[in-house]
Amino acid sequence: MGRVKIARKSTFIDMTAMSDVTVLLLTFFMLTSTFLQKEPATVITPASVSTEKVQETNYVQVLLSPEGKVWLTMNNDTSSNWSNEKMKVALLEKASEIYNETHQKKINFTDEQKYAFSKLGSFGVPLNQMGEFLDLANQQEGQTKMDQWLAGEDENPNHITGIPIEWNSDESKPTEFQIWMKAMRQTENSNLADKIKDGTGIAIKADQNTSFDIVHMVMDNLQTIHMNKFTLLTALKGAEE
Amino acid sequence: MAEVQQNDGGKGKKGHQKKMQIRVDFTPMVDMNMLLITFFMLCTTMIKSQTLTIALPSNEKVNNEENMSQASADDAVTIIIDAKRKTGSFDVDTIDGKVQPVIYYYEGKPGGDAGMLGPGGAVLSENNNIKVSEFLANDEKTGQARGIREIIQQRNLDVLTEINKIKKQYADGGFGSLETKADREKAQAAYDEAASKIRKDENLKKPVIIIKSTPQASFGSLVSVLDEMQINNISKYQIDNMTKVDSLMVIDYQNSHHN
Repeated sequence: MGRVKIARKSTFIDMTAMSDVTVLLLTFFMLTSTFLQKEPATVITPASVSTEKVQETNYVQVLLSPEGKVWLTMNNDTSSNWSNEKMKVALLEKASEIYNETHQKKINFTDEQKYAFSKLGSFGVPLNQMGEFLDLANQQEGQTKMDQWLAGEDENPNHITGIPIEWNSDESKPTEFQIWMKAMRQTENSNLADKIKDGTGIAIKADQNTSFDIVHMVMDNLQTIHMNKFTLLTALKGAEE
Repeated sequence: MAEVQQNDGGKGKKGHQKKMQIRVDFTPMVDMNMLLITFFMLCTTMIKSQTLTIALPSNEKVNNEENMSQASADDAVTIIIDAKRKTGSFDVDTIDGKVQPVIYYYEGKPGGDAGMLGPGGAVLSENNNIKVSEFLANDEKTGQARGIREIIQQRNLDVLTEINKIKKQYADGGFGSLETKADREKAQAAYDEAASKIRKDENLKKPVIIIKSTPQASFGSLVSVLDEMQINNISKYQIDNMTKVDSLMVIDYQNSHHN
């Protein structure tokens, strides 16, 4: 009688194939991804049937919180002569120039502050506090402090977040929001200026529950400085026909 | 696969060296990769936002009456977006933190030909031609448009009939074959051109839609109204400011319907 021999098999699982797949996936994600920008306020954009995609580069995003605070984010074409950093420095110089024309108290930025500004993602503090804000970058845990300031969680009640904006139809006395937007158009970067002109250079991002009053104020500010065309950021809704 | 067979080449060497088998365990590698993938998946955006382009009229005051583009009363439809209010007050009512839109609309002039205001600025409630509507998707069974969409569609019937004709033509291959991707794109471009021609056709009767909004209305409902313009192929629409008469009409409507 022959006993059936059961071969003892090793339980070792070969992980090479698995590793191959994960590395492939990893490569895919690394190459296709754009990182989520850290934004001072979380907003849920309204759904729309529009299928136009947002510009990849050369546009300014106007972020609008439901409380009516405004922050700006620049998205520049990094392949061109105008990198994000260079553009931001030019923008800050231009904005302070326009600010000084209409304000008694002049503002000036050191090279160090300009450098700090060029590294920012979203920005939006009153210009007269901008220097103090940018100085934080050289401090310990400066980034955390800056984020807190922008999110409105700063301990110092004098630290205001959001670019000051109010109803204004007098072009000779621009609000700070208008100063920034004018500065965008006036930098020598024609890529951005052209896009602003044809309307795709400005994207307004607001929460679906934000009251029309606040959105209207931003639109009205833009209209006053002759930026009549712009885009609204929306999320895709299933097409209904 | 992860094994490397080592053949001892030197047979003549002293001592019988055993065949060595090197096996690399890839499990920690996979673990680490999975972690990295998870990180990238959570920290990235895949979905690109959509945009809606709008053009607003210039803010400058037009002094010359002739330069103002006037919509004729027959064509004009005014839509006023508002938010649902708590009964008996003007506070905005929310459900689960969401503002509920309310749509008012009137056709032609406010208050009809007689006008909304009597002598001395008295509000003439009996002339109030404002009506209320809502955002509704098409009826699931019949595909019939409902709510504000139905009203817009009825006003834009001429254009929509033409658009539907070329839509059918497109589906039947009238704008070129739909076989390959390149063909489809070509046909789509031809269709788009034809559609835009119809939308701009002066001979068709088209409404002019004026979108107004109370300060309390939500941004989301504004986008919804702009969507309706796109869905219903409206070529002429604009965003305008509320006038005093508009506000009076809305308040008058609310007073007479909520006691």
